[in-house]
Amino acid sequence: MEEPRIGVYVCHCGTNIAGTVDVEEVAKYAETLPHVVVARHYPYTCSDPGQELIKKDIKELGVNRVVVASCSPRLHEKTFQGVLREAGLNPYLFQMANIREQCSWLHEPGPELTEKAKRMVGAAVNRVSRHVPLEMRAVPIFPATLVVGGGIAGMQAALEIANSNHMVYIVEREPSIGGHMAQFDKTFPTLDCAACILTPRMTEVSRHPFIRILTYSEVVAISGYVGNFKIKIRRKPRYVDEGKCIGCLVCQEKCPWTALSEFNAGTSKRKAIYTPFPQAVPNIPVIDAEHCAYFLKEKCRACEKFCDANAINFEQSELIFELEVGNIIIATGFDTFDASSIPQYGYGRYPNVFTSMEFERLCSPTGPTEGHIILADGRQPESVAIVHCVGSRDKNYNEYCSRVCCMHALKYSHLIKEKTNAAIYQMYIDMRCFGKGYEEFYNRISNEGVNFIRGKVAKVTDEAIAEEEKGKLIVLVEDTLLGTMLRVPVDMVILCIALEPRKDANEVARLFHLGRSADGFFLERHPKLDPVATMSEGILIAGCCQGPKDIPDSVAQASAAAARALAMIARGKIEVPAITAAIDETECSGCRICNLLCPYDAIFFDDEAKVSRINQVMCQGCGVCAAACPSGAITHNYFTVEEITAEIEGVLA
Amino acid sequence: MSFEPKIVGFLCNWCSYAGADLAGISRLKCAPNVHIIRMMCSGGISPLFILKALEAGADGVLICGCSPGDCHYKEGNYKTLRRITLLKKMLEQLGIEQERVQLHWVCASCGDEFVDVVNKITAEVKELGPLQAGVKSRV
Amino acid sequence: MDVLSPYKEATDVILEAGGEPLKLCYQCGLCTGICPWNLVRSFLVRRIMHAAQLGAIDFGSEDIWTCVTCRACVQRCPRGVEIIDVMRALRRAVASMGIGVVPDALRISAKNIAGVGNPLGEAPEKRNDWAKDLKVKNFASGTEILYFPCCVPSYDPDVKTIARSTATIFNKLKIDYGLIGTEAKCCGESIRKAGHEDTFQSLAQNNINLFTSNGVKTVVVSSPHCYHTFKNEYPELGSKFEVIHTTQYLASLIEQGKLKLSKEINKKVIYSDPCYLGRHNSVYDEPRKVLQSIPGLELIEFPDAREEGLCCGGGGGRIWMDTPKGERFSDIRVEQAVAKGADIIALACPYCFLNYRDSVLSMGKAETMQVKDIAELVAEAI
Repeated sequence: MEEPRIGVYVCHCGTNIAGTVDVEEVAKYAETLPHVVVARHYPYTCSDPGQELIKKDIKELGVNRVVVASCSPRLHEKTFQGVLREAGLNPYLFQMANIREQCSWLHEPGPELTEKAKRMVGAAVNRVSRHVPLEMRAVPIFPATLVVGGGIAGMQAALEIANSNHMVYIVEREPSIGGHMAQFDKTFPTLDCAACILTPRMTEVSRHPFIRILTYSEVVAISGYVGNFKIKIRRKPRYVDEGKCIGCLVCQEKCPWTALSEFNAGTSKRKAIYTPFPQAVPNIPVIDAEHCAYFLKEKCRACEKFCDANAINFEQSELIFELEVGNIIIATGFDTFDASSIPQYGYGRYPNVFTSMEFERLCSPTGPTEGHIILADGRQPESVAIVHCVGSRDKNYNEYCSRVCCMHALKYSHLIKEKTNAAIYQMYIDMRCFGKGYEEFYNRISNEGVNFIRGKVAKVTDEAIAEEEKGKLIVLVEDTLLGTMLRVPVDMVILCIALEPRKDANEVARLFHLGRSADGFFLERHPKLDPVATMSEGILIAGCCQGPKDIPDSVAQASAAAARALAMIARGKIEVPAITAAIDETECSGCRICNLLCPYDAIFFDDEAKVSRINQVMCQGCGVCAAACPSGAITHNYFTVEEITAEIEGVLA
Repeated sequence: MSFEPKIVGFLCNWCSYAGADLAGISRLKCAPNVHIIRMMCSGGISPLFILKALEAGADGVLICGCSPGDCHYKEGNYKTLRRITLLKKMLEQLGIEQERVQLHWVCASCGDEFVDVVNKITAEVKELGPLQAGVKSRV
Repeated sequence: MDVLSPYKEATDVILEAGGEPLKLCYQCGLCTGICPWNLVRSFLVRRIMHAAQLGAIDFGSEDIWTCVTCRACVQRCPRGVEIIDVMRALRRAVASMGIGVVPDALRISAKNIAGVGNPLGEAPEKRNDWAKDLKVKNFASGTEILYFPCCVPSYDPDVKTIARSTATIFNKLKIDYGLIGTEAKCCGESIRKAGHEDTFQSLAQNNINLFTSNGVKTVVVSSPHCYHTFKNEYPELGSKFEVIHTTQYLASLIEQGKLKLSKEINKKVIYSDPCYLGRHNSVYDEPRKVLQSIPGLELIEFPDAREEGLCCGGGGGRIWMDTPKGERFSDIRVEQAVAKGADIIALACPYCFLNYRDSVLSMGKAETMQVKDIAELVAEAI
């Protein structure tokens, strides 16, 4: 092999690295290392001119190995490997030193940062001098896509993909698709009814020949890699035969047992056998075993008696099956903040303190009051306080802004005015009406007559100190624009609760190898330039699982994720790293330890030659076999003993 | 000058390396003593590498992998667990303290856990002092 | 600490009195930032708007009466709030519903207007005395133009010059014009802004009936306040006549070649835009055209002219109230005029005339700075 001629490029990353690491000194140090023919520092190495610089050195200085000291290889390893390829070098003659995420960002500023960066660069130089060329492998993309979550984002993504005649599976854990949007009454700022725009979508999804909806189901395991994921799905028993059920819902009518309706945010009861809402898709009920008399006490079976279609099946059990997909779109949505964790707002103590979700249901014609805005005692409210930022923009709960509350608070004002003519007080910190038509909506609602009080509510109490406060809820707030403490007596309080990551976001993140940002939502690959991809190839995110957003933004992100998946499908194949393991047959003792260890059954024993061999197509390159081989006959490409030893010696130098 | 231990960290690509990145992205701060080497899977970390690190001057070795059940390669991390348990028994016989070689599970969204783990091993190895040359040679 | 509760009834009163626009206010405070009062003292327009929204207004406060209705804030309000309407509604709530105190000076003027039809309390039959020696005919059916000089030039001995100059010009040009009988009353613009809506309604109805019964088709006015209410408010009550401000009329005469100015006035003249001609009705160019037609005259501008023009302090009924020394906008203007090297401050509004004249006198600048209506200058140059 030719003598290594190494080029080292230390990136400033603006001030992200250069602000705390002396990049010039790191480059100077690199120049002194063996085989290094050139060492440079550059403001943005990933930029076009930065890439050109490397290409130029390869061509003009005969650089044949490259080290870039910049950000995480998870971000730009591919970028720079591409540079090498374009310049005619094998992309594996490259090594990155992650001096941003794992150095300048990770440690307190100080001279030690520069020292550490030098050692990291030294290790990379040492390692890259041992690198050998490897060939990339092209693997086919399985053209089906998995969408996790059947809310508006999931449905949108599914339709976009399915409309190009590629199969989509929607996995939804609830009995129906529709998500949170199905619970809303009207949508801002157009005030069109959510059901009117959502239900046609749901029908379209359910009738689409290229979409298969798997409700009441969850992903339990995933394996494989981009283009070739294997997904294990658990389908919970509905205890209703989907093939037989005709959706007449007589069972629901006859069922004598009840539980709180999740769909109505706990404001009403539903039966133990139920569909969550009248427009549910599929329109097939489920039996909630936790509240069903048969499962609890082994009697009743009323639903079975009344079902003409004989669709009730108490013997049904959960079903586990596997799907093969090339891409995955996560659209698992959000949960809402638990308002009772701010006790001073009285939620749970005063019956006329409602959360925004409860109020949505109160406004809805399909809700518990058939759309009448009434108090717990059935009266119409004469005055309503709408409290913004409950659980949002607050270090004690969630630091972030939930982005939709100002707008739905304005929407509530309109609905209350329309239905009751009550006096309305909005207690806000800042009005954030940033979307298309939103400021105009704010203007319109202002003109309808709303009292805007700038201040974060301190307390909601029923302790009256004046005659006119008796029997009312009194909202205590400073009007920061008047500089005066206000006591606002009202009949009803609506708490605009924060949008939060799903309670099981951590489990889902682990399942799909997703990162989570500080706010707990799933982490996108890049906050500006790549908000739909994740650090896991082939796994995309859309909608509120990535952060609070309104319907238009969720839909836009879902479409973007779908476009990304389609691009992959259209390409048909993807190049995957050539990182596999290989057996040196002359060293192999034929002990077969590796045969059992391989998680992909990629290693087989050649009975004739009495040695083990690795199927290069099946091998995923984990290196478990190489680490276990007692004779050291297995080479883990790109992670060879020589390479890793060189890196170890480098970091300890 | 107080003793600053040198620690080599072997991190799996899918969970732990991503977790370390996340710690940086979140601007969390930890001790600078751990030098990270990226591996594909913790199951691919040969005991030889750990011994090599100790021999070449490391005062400690940190191994991080996906949490049990989350391995990108199905169950590589279970193999790591068994392997490290065995290795530590061997190191004990060589007179190398338990705390010098630590295995932790750090997931891709576990930025804070990564920082905690780094600070923990750094403090504990600092407490133990440098790995003696005599012990090294036995390695 | 004072703890307030929103007082819906008070808000309702304000809304009923015409304060509807306040609902739109989103409390940005631009109005406060623009308001000329903050050049001389603190006046938080934004805060008044918010207190009104919540019905938490102090109806006894002098703040209610402070606004000069100059329209600087309305012109720039990002939400298009008619702040003057809100101020008027607050005053109306006080004046007509007796929930606060109307300042004494204003009460006297209001009483005079309601009683004798002019704020000065002069006899109605003396309304046209200023023209006694000028041989101006009474308006009769068929007369082309009605000249309506405003109460101040009609009665105030020092301001009569505006009306007399105008009549002199008209006489020289043999214009077919006349004065309406002494049944004419104050136009009511300012007293309406001061919250006396009923008085305004009866004044307006009186004038409309009078003009209509006499067959008035065109009215030339000296005051931008008369101009504003005749042009924008009277039509809602049924008036049909055309209104022209003297500066507009003179400009058109010059353009038609009917008015030729030949005598030189070799002075530096600075023109102050009246709020009700400028911001309220966008008349900026005609007064300047007239001045520029005078030979020898050098027209200069205030640092903040036209849309940015500073109010004299006399709008919204403030003309009848006392503004303490140090808070008078016209004082600031006189200083600016001096700094610009002006010899004459040219005006087009009797209220401005009153305020600037007072400022020049009280500042001891009468020797070096003259205050003249544009009509006066034209009469001199003819």
